[in-house]
Amino acid sequence: MAERRPGAVIPKEAASLRTLTATMTVMCYLACLAIGALVLIDRAVDNWSRGLSREVTVQVREVEARDIDADVAAVLQVLQDTPGVTAADDIGRKAAEALLEPWLGSEGLDALPVPRIVRVAVNPEQPPEFPALAQRLTAATPGASLDTHRRWEDELKRMAGTLTVLASLILLLIGGSAVAMVIFATRAVLEANRQTVDVLHLVGAEDGYIARAINRRFLATGLWAGGLGVLLALLTFFVLGHAGLPQADGLAAASRSLFYVPDSQWWAVPAALVAVPFAATLLALVTSRITLLRMLRLLS
Amino acid sequence: MVAYPATYPVVTVNAWLSTGLAKGAMLELDDVGFRYAKGQDILHGVSFRLQRGAFSFLTGPSGAGKTTLLRLLFLALRPSHGRIRLFGEDVTRLPRSALPPVRRRVGVVFQEFRLLDHLSTFDNVALPLRVSGQAPSSYSRDVMDLLDWVGLKKQAHAFPAVLSGGEKQRAAIARAVIAKPELLLADEPTGNVDPVLARRLIHLFAELNRLGTTVLLATHDQGLFKQVRAPVLHLQDGTLRML
Repeated sequence: MAERRPGAVIPKEAASLRTLTATMTVMCYLACLAIGALVLIDRAVDNWSRGLSREVTVQVREVEARDIDADVAAVLQVLQDTPGVTAADDIGRKAAEALLEPWLGSEGLDALPVPRIVRVAVNPEQPPEFPALAQRLTAATPGASLDTHRRWEDELKRMAGTLTVLASLILLLIGGSAVAMVIFATRAVLEANRQTVDVLHLVGAEDGYIARAINRRFLATGLWAGGLGVLLALLTFFVLGHAGLPQADGLAAASRSLFYVPDSQWWAVPAALVAVPFAATLLALVTSRITLLRMLRLLS
Repeated sequence: MVAYPATYPVVTVNAWLSTGLAKGAMLELDDVGFRYAKGQDILHGVSFRLQRGAFSFLTGPSGAGKTTLLRLLFLALRPSHGRIRLFGEDVTRLPRSALPPVRRRVGVVFQEFRLLDHLSTFDNVALPLRVSGQAPSSYSRDVMDLLDWVGLKKQAHAFPAVLSGGEKQRAAIARAVIAKPELLLADEPTGNVDPVLARRLIHLFAELNRLGTTVLLATHDQGLFKQVRAPVLHLQDGTLRML
């Protein structure tokens, strides 16, 4: 006699998990977007920090009875003599005025004592001693002040930290919601199969056996939802990166950048592709198993 | 009339307390009572002992508590008071985790069959073996032999929805005995079948008993008592006495 494969002890038809799969897919999709946002924030902060640490500026204000051009020249001389400074150049009065134009307008700027800006490139590996440099600059000319952008860098890092915490909280909320949905779905499956579960108990089935029989269905749900969520997120980033929306240039560039990883981090994309379905499946399996075992204990 | 051995094991009712626990008892109830929360007593003061290999009827009017008593015996309910010993072990307050191994030693035929509609007759009958971890290759032959024995070989792959009442009854009986239980409890096993089939089923139980299974058969069909000469326990108003 040809052996037939035994039917599933818990029928699939009794309580469909399609709704759970659909909502879990949305959750995984949102989780991928949140992870993408985290990666972008991390990269942006890294880029900004690197840019800021490569350059500082010296502001030279007009001081009464002093020649500002001579002061700028003195500042440039100090900078040229400073180890760690790779280049220094005066951006000129016109460029300095152009920086103020957005706030003050172009009219009457000639009459104002617009400070001169000296752009200084530094070696990020061996930067100069900034406090000592600031002292030397002030000694050379009283109107000079060094701006290391430290304040901006700190602000950026604080903002990035806040965004990272927010994105992490969103991920946690998504995870929490997914757990709640799996609990509800598990209860629904168990309730719909109450008669079957009773019979299984009475013929000697252990709770673990019944939990495993139901759990298998959540394995498929987790894999499908995770896989679809990742695909949808990749599609979203791809479309955002290539749709050419003029009002969203920054977003498009950021989305495109998610697809470009350095050679040394070639594993990042496959790891992300695997991590979300894996996490979704693990969450569905563990949550449903714990829920099942707790609920089965309450039955006969 | 089924030819039954003259040395038929005897059921003693309300008598064992004075003699202490007998060796070889399959089932012992000591002053067992049951009531649902805040409800009236369904059973009270029920004491009896079934020896290994016994065949007994449990009878009484509808609502007398027969099904409740059987549910206590296959550990689907716990008594409100009193003590139940099964296979020589006190199972009155057995922890949940210890129930499955005990239940696997008890076969139950439910009044309403309780076959699983989504499983074939074969899979329904094989269920007790399957939940105990046996592989299909190890039990396929036994299940088919048993289905042949109860006349359901042709319906092996049919689903309960297309089975007649009698076929469902036989499938339920086959499921109850497939794991060779030491104790077989049957609740109105002939309640849904015609007299001819009822007679066949009683022969089946008698044959199982002959092979060593202790049988307790709940019924209010007085006609069955004429077919099998066996002790009759009568349950009325929640109290047990021997006829």
